[in-house]
Amino acid sequence: MMDYVAPTTLDDAYRALAAEDARCLAGGQSLVAMMNLGLVSPARLVSLRRIDALRGIAAQPDGALRLGAMTTHAEIAALDVASAGASLLAQAARVVAYPAVRAWGTIGGSVAHADPAADYPVALVAAQATIETGSASGGRRIAARDFFRGLFETALAPGEIVIAVHVPAGPPGGRARYEKLSVVAGDFAILSVAAIVAETAQVAIGGCAPTPLFAMAIALSDTALLAAGQELARQSNPPDDHRTSPQYRRRVLPELLRRTVRAAQELS
Amino acid sequence: MSIGTSPPRLEAGDKATGRAQYADDVTRPGMLYAALLTSPHAHAKILRYRTDAARAMPGVKAIVTGADLDGRRYGGLVKDETMVAYGKVRYVGEIVAAVAATDPGTANAAAAAIEIDYEPLPAVLSIDDALASGAPILHDEFAAYVKTVPGGGHGNVVFESSVEEGDVERAFAECDVVVEGAWRTQAQHHAYLEPNGCLADVDAEGRITIYATCQSVHHVQQRVADELGEPMARIRAVATRVGGAFGGKHASHIHSIAAWLARASRRPVKLVLSRMQDFEVQRSRHPARIWMKTGARRDGTIVARDVRITIDGGAYADESPPVLAFALLMSRGPYRIANVRARGQAVYTNKLRAGSFRGFGNPQATFAGESQIDELAARLDLHPLELRLKNAMRPNDTAFGGQPVPSCVLAQCLTRVRDAQQGAPLLAPRPGTRRGVGFSALSHISGLMGTAASVQLRTDGSIALSTGCVDIGQGSDTVMVQICADAFRVPIERVSYAPQDSDASPYNWKTAGSRSTYMTGRAVAAAAIEMRDRMFEHAAAMFECAAADLELRPGGAIGVKGVPKTVSFKDVAMRSLFHRGGPLAASHGFVFDGPGFDPKRASIHQLAFANLGVYTFGAHCVEVDVDEVTGKVEVRRAWCAHDVGRAINPTSCEGQIQGGFVQGMGYALTEAMHWNDSGWLTTVTFADYKIPGVLDAPPEIHAIVLEDPDPTHPVGAKGIGEPSLVGAAPAIANAIHNAVGARVRTLPMTPERVLDATDATR
Amino acid sequence: MSDPVRTELTVNGERHDVLAPVEATLLDVLRTSLSLTGSKRGCNHGVCGACTVLLDGKLARACLTLAVDVGERPVITIEGVAGDTGFSAAQRALIDAGAIQCGFCTPGFVIALTDLFARDPHPDRAAIRSALSGNLCRCSGYVKIVEAAERLAGARA
Repeated sequence: MMDYVAPTTLDDAYRALAAEDARCLAGGQSLVAMMNLGLVSPARLVSLRRIDALRGIAAQPDGALRLGAMTTHAEIAALDVASAGASLLAQAARVVAYPAVRAWGTIGGSVAHADPAADYPVALVAAQATIETGSASGGRRIAARDFFRGLFETALAPGEIVIAVHVPAGPPGGRARYEKLSVVAGDFAILSVAAIVAETAQVAIGGCAPTPLFAMAIALSDTALLAAGQELARQSNPPDDHRTSPQYRRRVLPELLRRTVRAAQELS
Repeated sequence: MSIGTSPPRLEAGDKATGRAQYADDVTRPGMLYAALLTSPHAHAKILRYRTDAARAMPGVKAIVTGADLDGRRYGGLVKDETMVAYGKVRYVGEIVAAVAATDPGTANAAAAAIEIDYEPLPAVLSIDDALASGAPILHDEFAAYVKTVPGGGHGNVVFESSVEEGDVERAFAECDVVVEGAWRTQAQHHAYLEPNGCLADVDAEGRITIYATCQSVHHVQQRVADELGEPMARIRAVATRVGGAFGGKHASHIHSIAAWLARASRRPVKLVLSRMQDFEVQRSRHPARIWMKTGARRDGTIVARDVRITIDGGAYADESPPVLAFALLMSRGPYRIANVRARGQAVYTNKLRAGSFRGFGNPQATFAGESQIDELAARLDLHPLELRLKNAMRPNDTAFGGQPVPSCVLAQCLTRVRDAQQGAPLLAPRPGTRRGVGFSALSHISGLMGTAASVQLRTDGSIALSTGCVDIGQGSDTVMVQICADAFRVPIERVSYAPQDSDASPYNWKTAGSRSTYMTGRAVAAAAIEMRDRMFEHAAAMFECAAADLELRPGGAIGVKGVPKTVSFKDVAMRSLFHRGGPLAASHGFVFDGPGFDPKRASIHQLAFANLGVYTFGAHCVEVDVDEVTGKVEVRRAWCAHDVGRAINPTSCEGQIQGGFVQGMGYALTEAMHWNDSGWLTTVTFADYKIPGVLDAPPEIHAIVLEDPDPTHPVGAKGIGEPSLVGAAPAIANAIHNAVGARVRTLPMTPERVLDATDATR
Repeated sequence: MSDPVRTELTVNGERHDVLAPVEATLLDVLRTSLSLTGSKRGCNHGVCGACTVLLDGKLARACLTLAVDVGERPVITIEGVAGDTGFSAAQRALIDAGAIQCGFCTPGFVIALTDLFARDPHPDRAAIRSALSGNLCRCSGYVKIVEAAERLAGARA
């Protein structure tokens, strides 16, 4: 038996989530698909759409962003970006799935879902973002790198939800680039590279491990970039599925990393 | 004149407004919902069914399992299928039971509550495993199956065929250059946007009507009558609007299952497959292995080709025999090669059955053949186009198998795409990619089997046209009306077109084989001429002249040649209905009457076809950009030249060409069904099975429609449904080679395969 | 399946009161409770776009929207696009361009085009292709659909 509640405050949401097998319904773009495919059948759905505290985009003077959990991909994609961090998020948001999914899918939902081939986890790790959470017993800030624990697995405790995502501006004058290799447009990534580039590069790689891989302070020469890519390839654990072999992703990673960093540098 | 113009499709308005009724849109009061239980084993004996728990559920009104069947088998040329699994399951996903209940949730719960005891058997999932000595045999009783055409099946071999002309061994010895290679192609899925489904209704006498998305109401009627053990008179099939088919929606067990449940429950039953079920339950394109050897003289004359094709037919024969036959017949390619030997087998494996899919064996054969032509050209130091033009078939040549081919514009197709590509403004390649241009040439057929059309004259002088040709989205409704309207010299608004209903529609084999415009269009034109002659008899009496003096006047009138006075169609109708002669109606039916194979030229052994159709030709040229880092291929532009005989509705021809090209591009680059080691199909959603979206398809696909009228058709038309898919993959493969010097021999040509092939050249 | 709950929806300007289980999608309710079968079920997992509607003025996949979560936000389906005028400009453009073959994807494309032209009367080809990137078509190869939209973009000059 499934029941549905749509609280208007966070406290009401926490109370509702205390029930057995309760799940948050944010944009529904992942959850409802899984329900339709028979993969999940929560006993209670707690809709977050009426909670104003989860909405809103706040920009700092330096270009850092606080994105309410219910901010949609379309809203992020349309941001006037004043920093490398914001630019990276906007680029990732633009290539999530399809227009209708971007209209309703939320950053909070995407982050809590933690699909390793999704776009936000990679971008957030590269940007060194933090996830702000809330629960009946209080909230915390978790670095993105620590937040994503595994395949569809996060650091969220039962009853704890994503309240907002904090995206640092990144290095002053920094540039950002998000590159995604997929079989068809709108698809999940076979391999994705999120890069913020200033004096050095900081990058995250998606699609080739249960969580994004991260490296920073990479020097900007071809040799250093390729070496960093090869090291990340060594750390990777790509899935062996019918899309590609693990060797392919490891093989392509270094050059794709180098190319993404170069593309970031060319952006004005 | 309507032919040659492109009036909007008759049903476009309904489709644009959401009014068009597809199978799942049809409902009936008291309708039940069906749910299916499918096999979790790739190969297993069925020992016992326990349905008590399911039957006891409130709302469950009917259940069917293999225990209800008598074991008779149905199917295509090898009758190896039963409505639901009987005695054994042979693939994961095979339907083993079905339930009809008052709501979908109850139906699903009841289906899940049916317990089946299986004894798993070893399974074979590949051609090699199926052919290995000691391999588990899928169809132990194969020898006892009815086979309407002998195919020499044995073990896990369903069918074996060969076609041979000339003397290949001697001819190869005379060649200066010989190339040899092997290609592999994958299982592609039709991925029509509308899943398969139907509604079976039942009347007080137990007579059943199936409203189905299908390619032939006559096929559905026949299959359901067979599988229910009912006379055909008690089964009626009506076509709903069809949301795409491509070969995947002809006769299917789901029609019989819904009908069975309706008969048992005495209530209407809706059975619509989910997308996942549709992938798992229906049919795919045949994966194939093609080995090919081609030899030429130094001057570029191709003199010999030797081909072996093995197609993986999955668990049931379905259309494996004719697909094999067609692949062999098309493996010579559209060339004047005097010595050709093509041999092949269709093999059973414990996977979803493979069957008909746009191209029907030709995409597989042509992927190999047109790739090899490019390789041969390189060895001969000839431009690939030059080699093709040198050996291209010409009018009055014979096809492989010996049929005369009176018309052939292949050379023009090739030069048109070459010129179009060369004349097009240069598209800058994307940074980090290499540009390549590739060509392919192809032939295909339009024809096959029987069809009929009937026309009636209404009291107001308008025309009622009826055929059994189901429009599966390719535009045949509109084309038939255009042909009919032109035959009577009336605007198309004066012709109404009846829906396809087995109670009323003249027989048509099915919408397949690129045959509708050629075959049913021919019947329409002939029926119209017969009706016209009867109308002329009345008009001759009214004018007191000879019928030979009469002519049709535009707008629905008849006059004496050279004399302005006319009588209207309405006048004729009035006379016939109320005065003399009776209601005017005419019909025309025929079965494809072209020449069969020529035993003086071709040695044919166990071929599933006796007769084919008229030949059409085409050529493709594509530009690709290959990403140097990832190997991903982007098709930037395509030119597709096709001879359609006569373009009845040119816009529809273009749309078919463009759509077929993109479906062929998916076959070439991104689509593949994948089974895991336990025989489970893992690509069962559109997230896993990747068909091209608008951003993947090239923004420019130039359809070049050539018209080389067919002399056997009153309007000269041939067909266009399939050929444009056939040319895509080899043209793309050749373009990839042109870009990066790498030959990819396995479909789909994924980024990884392209990189691996590029590596192999270094 | 859960017990049905009472759900109010505003569809094509009309208010409806339906009984539907919590897990029922907007697509389920449109097609079954409201007999609005113009929105199609092509995949039921949010990829094909045949179920596309406008929700609160934005493109939405009806199969990924729970009916209970719609609330007061208005829904426009293909049945509500043309109003009294027969065909909308987008519908007319698709018909005239020969962009409709089997037609199963057409309602979704009409909604996507309606949304595009409401936001931007003169989209270029890139904007058109991007706006249509969530709608699959297996028949047409997309060329004539984009041509229809380009004509519409030019016609609104």
